[in-house]
Amino acid sequence: MKFRAVMVDTGPMREFTNIVSTISKLSKECVLRLSTEKLYFIVSEDNSGPSPPMLWCEIPQDTFFSEYQIVGVDDEYRDIYLGLVSANLSKSLATLKTAKCLKMKLTKKQCPCLTLEIETPSSTSQQTRQVTHDIPVIVIPRKLWSEFHEPRIPQPDMSIELPALKQLRTTIDRMKGMCPEVVIRASAEGRLTLQIKTDMAKVSTRFKDLRVMAFEGPIDHSDSETETQTIEDISKTCYCRVDTKKFSMFLSADQISHNATVCSIVNKKLVILCLQTEENVKLQCFITGIVY
Amino acid sequence: MKCLIPGPNVKVLGRTIHALARFGDELYLESSPEAILLRTLNASESAYAMVKFNKVFFSYFNYNYFSAKDQEGLKCKISMKSALHAFKSPTHMDKQVENLEIRLDAESCKLIFIIKCKHGIVKTHFVSILDCKAMQAVYTKDLVHNRITSSQKILSEALGNFQSSDDQVNIEVNTESLILRNYVDSSMDLSKVIRTQISIKSAEFDTYVIGRETVITFTIKEFRALLAFAEALNLPLQLHFEVTGKPVVFIVHNNTTFEAHFVLATTKSDTPTQTSASQNSTITDRKRKEMGFNSNSVRKKPNLDVDVSKCLDEDSHLFDYIEMPIDIINAQNNDCSNKDISQSIIQENVDCDNIPPSPTSKMKIKTIFKRCFESTFDPRSIRGSVLAENSDSE
Amino acid sequence: MDSGKTLCSLLKAIQFQESAVFCAMQEGLKLTVEEGKCVQASAYIPADNFNEYHVRDDVDVLFKISIAVLTECLNIFGSAEESSLKMYYRCEGSPLLLVLQAQSFSNVMTDCEIATQTADTLLELRDEDAEEESKLVLKAPAFLGLLADLERSCDIIEINLSPEHPNLSIVTYGMQDRSCIEIPKSSDMVQSFTCERAVTLKYQLYHIRLIMKALAVSNKVVLRCSSNGLLLLQLKLEKEDQRQMFSEFYIVPLLDD
Repeated sequence: MKFRAVMVDTGPMREFTNIVSTISKLSKECVLRLSTEKLYFIVSEDNSGPSPPMLWCEIPQDTFFSEYQIVGVDDEYRDIYLGLVSANLSKSLATLKTAKCLKMKLTKKQCPCLTLEIETPSSTSQQTRQVTHDIPVIVIPRKLWSEFHEPRIPQPDMSIELPALKQLRTTIDRMKGMCPEVVIRASAEGRLTLQIKTDMAKVSTRFKDLRVMAFEGPIDHSDSETETQTIEDISKTCYCRVDTKKFSMFLSADQISHNATVCSIVNKKLVILCLQTEENVKLQCFITGIVY
Repeated sequence: MKCLIPGPNVKVLGRTIHALARFGDELYLESSPEAILLRTLNASESAYAMVKFNKVFFSYFNYNYFSAKDQEGLKCKISMKSALHAFKSPTHMDKQVENLEIRLDAESCKLIFIIKCKHGIVKTHFVSILDCKAMQAVYTKDLVHNRITSSQKILSEALGNFQSSDDQVNIEVNTESLILRNYVDSSMDLSKVIRTQISIKSAEFDTYVIGRETVITFTIKEFRALLAFAEALNLPLQLHFEVTGKPVVFIVHNNTTFEAHFVLATTKSDTPTQTSASQNSTITDRKRKEMGFNSNSVRKKPNLDVDVSKCLDEDSHLFDYIEMPIDIINAQNNDCSNKDISQSIIQENVDCDNIPPSPTSKMKIKTIFKRCFESTFDPRSIRGSVLAENSDSE
Repeated sequence: MDSGKTLCSLLKAIQFQESAVFCAMQEGLKLTVEEGKCVQASAYIPADNFNEYHVRDDVDVLFKISIAVLTECLNIFGSAEESSLKMYYRCEGSPLLLVLQAQSFSNVMTDCEIATQTADTLLELRDEDAEEESKLVLKAPAFLGLLADLERSCDIIEINLSPEHPNLSIVTYGMQDRSCIEIPKSSDMVQSFTCERAVTLKYQLYHIRLIMKALAVSNKVVLRCSSNGLLLLQLKLEKEDQRQMFSEFYIVPLLDD
């Protein structure tokens, strides 16, 4: 098993730092899957026991690394799966934004480590400094790989463009302070509504004129609570109740410069948030719906 | 004792107090005809700091205890919290403060800080004197093999790479480069700790003299504090150290008005932290406070583990004058190269009253290769209970 | 109202209790909170701050509301974003309705329904018989700077006012130490000073510290002491459009044993 990769361009280094930092905000631990084409960061739900990943991030290696070598266990199993503490990686990469070069490799120094060698310019002279971080990792055995496969998701009922993440995040964070659950409602007319309801208050924030990417309507609401929506044609809306905190966490991804963010809803069951960047990084977050 | 500090220097004093507060909980003040000294020692007695403000730092300076007639200086201990309170926000201080007067009120046993601010506002802090002891540590700084002068930025940038959970740093020096590592204790779970190493080429430093290659380990907390101090005052930092087990001395000074010494105990590194692959070495007693220390030091050369600070506490009446050598080591430069002698001299100095006046010039940059006596080791301090004997036994 | 932001920051300044009494009068809106029986703080928004303002004049519009929820709602687009605000209230028992529209994004809107309750009676701290003894006007930021420098661990603050120099002094007592700040009336931060007779008043430092958030958003503070020791602080917040909002604190003195 061998892995070695080198990054020299500042753009990708900054982006990589932002991605890792976002992931460290979303979870304590993550799995880094290395394959010949892509790197994957995979986060499962915190509660133990096998559960489908909550976060799935794909990074194409060729746009980020100038050198990239990987040798798996054997010809059949070419990938490497590493378990690591996300914060360890993000803290070690904190100086990467000003660095000249990053080398990543798999080493064995008393325990398996992901070793980062960062060459940084000196602030006071022409010299360079060499910083090395040995981050302890766990090599995940082949029989557990199946737990980290890309989740199979049902066809979403609707996909709608999200408003600016920063704006959405401030609103969600206010709501988070008042209520642990938020109802996300999307309509085929391009409206996205966030609603909370507590003993003290009912708050609803509406964003309109958003692009609808896909609509598989009409939506069958026959089994739902008789909450009459007078203004809207309810067959053209779908909704899902989710954990406010999880939704807010995904929104911290706004530090990654992105092209588009899309919210897909499987009526009452699942919300899929997807962010895509120019370099073809895809960050997806799966938030299961809360059903009473 | 009465002195007046002009506005711009109040900020320097404020920074000093804030730096010292990250070392110890108590602040010792001492005045002499030439200077005022502030000292502190951390709770585990592994770190000591001394800052000396020369006469020229002040716009008015009268070191005498009561009046100009008597020759006694002030010796007192106050709580660090009280001192901090007088310097709450050193960053803004220079804008608001016109001057600061520090005065001793012998009758009420208070040290009075009077801060004259702009627009006629006067803030007065009456600080209780807890004790009238003097304290000082014994350490070597002038006759050491290894001396490095560094811009304050380099080392604090390097420390930025470490995790906030790291508590000790390990510095390896050779003629080409200086390597910092976070110290990984053999009791730590290796699968949880990031091991970090930063290699800085010797050319980055202003001066870099390594007489003897070595590896020293000391605490990060105090290291960060003294780096912050150097950075706040925009002054370079000098490192003076010998081999592992002997204290490392950091010096920050501006040539004329003040000089700060920060002394950190170094511990013997037992774990290969980063480079080597095998780890079979047994754990040796690393810290005096953790282990018995006694047996350890008997087995090894006595100067492997050194207690850096020898606290010469004097049991005395309130405000009694105690003569104390300012820098014992300096005073002894000429005569001894043997630890027994040095020890006896320390004791003698404490015991008798007729000591030569404390030497004032401390910076002897050129005397690097003079090999002085090996040790600042003081077996009395090992026993832990008695740090220093009473000098004026009843 | 075009600007919900200033209103929100003023309400946050008095948000040291969960609920407030909301009172709409012809002259303006007033929200009041109380700390024990010792401090009463109000935010007062004169009617001219609103573009439109209608209140029934036959009955008091008075109810209890969660001030924490109210400020969260007013701040729904974040503190960086200015938003326009509409507020409605029908009658006793009905919720307070807010409609907020962000100013820099036209496509977003928030509706809030905040539950209300019948208001508790408020303390009447003012004693009509007690005469005002001294009054001083200070610059709020400078006064805040002084209060911020006070040692937090102290319990008691002593305020000395005197016609003689130094006209105002603030003394705090710590475990072993004592600190004193002297401010002459000639000081830049004192804009006016009236005091006939020297007085020494003691308050809980914690109570005095409650005004710090309000000081941070205000320009000017008026301190009034009455003969019974009750301290009244009136803080003025001046907005960019020259309109003013106020906050007011009544603080009960500590009695000497």
